[in-house]
Amino acid sequence: MDLLKEMAEAVIEGDEERAIVLAKEALEKGMDPTEAIEKGFSEGMKEIGRRFEKLEIYLPEVIISADAMVAGVEVFRQHILAKGGQSFPKTVLLGTIQGDVHDIGKNIVRIMLESNGFRVYDLGRDVPVLQFIEKVKELNPDIIGVSALMTTTMVHMPKLIEALQENGLREKVKVMVGGAPVLPEWAKEIGADGYGESAMEAVRVAKKLVGLQGEGKGDGA
Amino acid sequence: MRDQGRFFDFLEVIKRAESGEVMKEGDFDKRLGRKVLSLMKQYEIRYDPECVIPTDDGMADRVYQAAVDLFLDLGVYCTDTQRIIRFTREELQWALENVPQEVRYGREKETVSVFPRKVEDRRDPVCFFSAVGTPVTEEMFLPIARSYAQEPHADTFSGPLITRYKGILVTSGSPIEVEAAIWNTQMLREAARQAGRPHIGIHNFQSTGEKTDATIASAQEKFGAFPGDGLLVAAIAEMKVDFERLKKVAFLRQSPYVLGALYGPLMGGYAGGPEGTTIALVAHHFLGLLVFSGERHNSFPIHIHHICNTTRDMLWLISMVGQALARNTHLIIVSNAFMASGPCTEMVIDELCAQSITSTVSGWHLNPSAVAKNRYPMRCSGMEPRIHAEVGHRVAQMGLTRKEANRIVLKLVEGYEKRISEAPIGKMFQECYQMDKIRPTDEYEFLFMKKKKEWGDLGFEVI
Repeated sequence: MDLLKEMAEAVIEGDEERAIVLAKEALEKGMDPTEAIEKGFSEGMKEIGRRFEKLEIYLPEVIISADAMVAGVEVFRQHILAKGGQSFPKTVLLGTIQGDVHDIGKNIVRIMLESNGFRVYDLGRDVPVLQFIEKVKELNPDIIGVSALMTTTMVHMPKLIEALQENGLREKVKVMVGGAPVLPEWAKEIGADGYGESAMEAVRVAKKLVGLQGEGKGDGA
Repeated sequence: MRDQGRFFDFLEVIKRAESGEVMKEGDFDKRLGRKVLSLMKQYEIRYDPECVIPTDDGMADRVYQAAVDLFLDLGVYCTDTQRIIRFTREELQWALENVPQEVRYGREKETVSVFPRKVEDRRDPVCFFSAVGTPVTEEMFLPIARSYAQEPHADTFSGPLITRYKGILVTSGSPIEVEAAIWNTQMLREAARQAGRPHIGIHNFQSTGEKTDATIASAQEKFGAFPGDGLLVAAIAEMKVDFERLKKVAFLRQSPYVLGALYGPLMGGYAGGPEGTTIALVAHHFLGLLVFSGERHNSFPIHIHHICNTTRDMLWLISMVGQALARNTHLIIVSNAFMASGPCTEMVIDELCAQSITSTVSGWHLNPSAVAKNRYPMRCSGMEPRIHAEVGHRVAQMGLTRKEANRIVLKLVEGYEKRISEAPIGKMFQECYQMDKIRPTDEYEFLFMKKKKEWGDLGFEVI
């Protein structure tokens, strides 16, 4: 089995230690880290995503595989940083909106984004609009991903977009929304750039928004 | 209206939330996944897609034992303190021995007694008619709520929610939320009056207000919330609580309102597949009993992708949880029906029928119903719970066995399961009800009649 296939397999098996060993081996062989991640670990995670979409596997298995992927990618990240490069091409600021403590959906999106090469800053649950703004200023992310499970909290989403405008940040960052009561029509109405029906859809939309090879029906809102 | 039941010391719960083992939330989630996986193997719990209503009493008992092990090993996570609230086997046993075995809703002639049901129980299920917080406009709130309250099979009822109050968006934590919450309670009682049932119990008199202050503000007799009404307190998925919820518990324990605990684990989520989520949902009932002092227990397990509980794996889960609890405890358990499809579609009628048969024969009371995945505005009406309740009553009255129920439910599921991912969202309330009479349209009534005839051909007669 070639090295890239072994890397994919390590992720599918959720073998964290093996992923680290293989990442180091790839570097020793002079492989390009980005290519190794995309053609190795990411291929494994794509397969995990496919199986999760069909519920052939469940979230605990996805988390184990994602941990393996993150461990392997960390080896490459440290290598890139040591060489003075930028560790991740694209970043996402993620959080459940103010007043909302339901975050399982957001957590699945985080796992999927990380598994697909995004650097995710997860602000957690019940994140005030102003905290999002402060973090955008501090971290300069490519995307803000915001979720809500209740109608009384999703109304903070347009306030976030307004606050981005008021702070002159709207043009610098894309906004994605999701969550049980959030419909594509709502996303459009409030001026969000993207909407994801599911975690996998959110990844495809995120990739499209930042000019990676995103695809699929759930594009910009 | 509390009866003789006694509950675990709530102050001790708070103490443990502030002194228990510290753990990162992500580690708690992973621990849950690992533990249920090992318990599934240890207790040999297996989902069989060809048997959605199992007759294996031994497996039901093993599910129960696995849930006890899970609860004692894992504990309950408090997200505010990042600590684990743990209980001993003796404390759990004491709590289970002291559960209230009767809860009463409503007043005067509308008083309803709710009791623990058994597997294949021939006693009618109590039917809690509910719009399950479907978003609706302020203008339509009252007629929609009335459509639930007026149904003869409605033993209690609750309402939808509004997203705008007098034109202003209802925002969590704002003063508008308090205003809207008070209005919500007032309108539910008004709906009961308009339905000619002023004393009917409202089992959850607050849907619009989420925060504790808004909920408590609306809990007054002058707004229409009377002793014999109730509120629901929901756990956070999976096996978690926070101070916001515990504040509601602190209030409700001292109030005249029935405290219902509510659990909505995601099948496919942290607890894994149908087997693991079954174990986790049974364990949630121990959380509700010990942490929330829950007098009755509502469950709305949801399929992580399809956002319903009418797929065959979800029906198996509902049946197993019901049987495990009905066989091993005296808890009053209520099954919340979540449909993929929406009002006035043939599919929703079949989904309602399958969910109701499964729940009723497995020991649950009924809480119909969320439809159209509970997310599309204005998609709800009193007709869906009517269908669900009629089926449930019929199941109990004819003494349907699990074996026969399984045969009928499998036929129904085979008919709709391929369309579940693209289920029709159906019609809005004003499209499937005659607004001048607040009655279902002829089209909707005809659809139900048509389905009844089809079910009769399957050997299930609903008069």
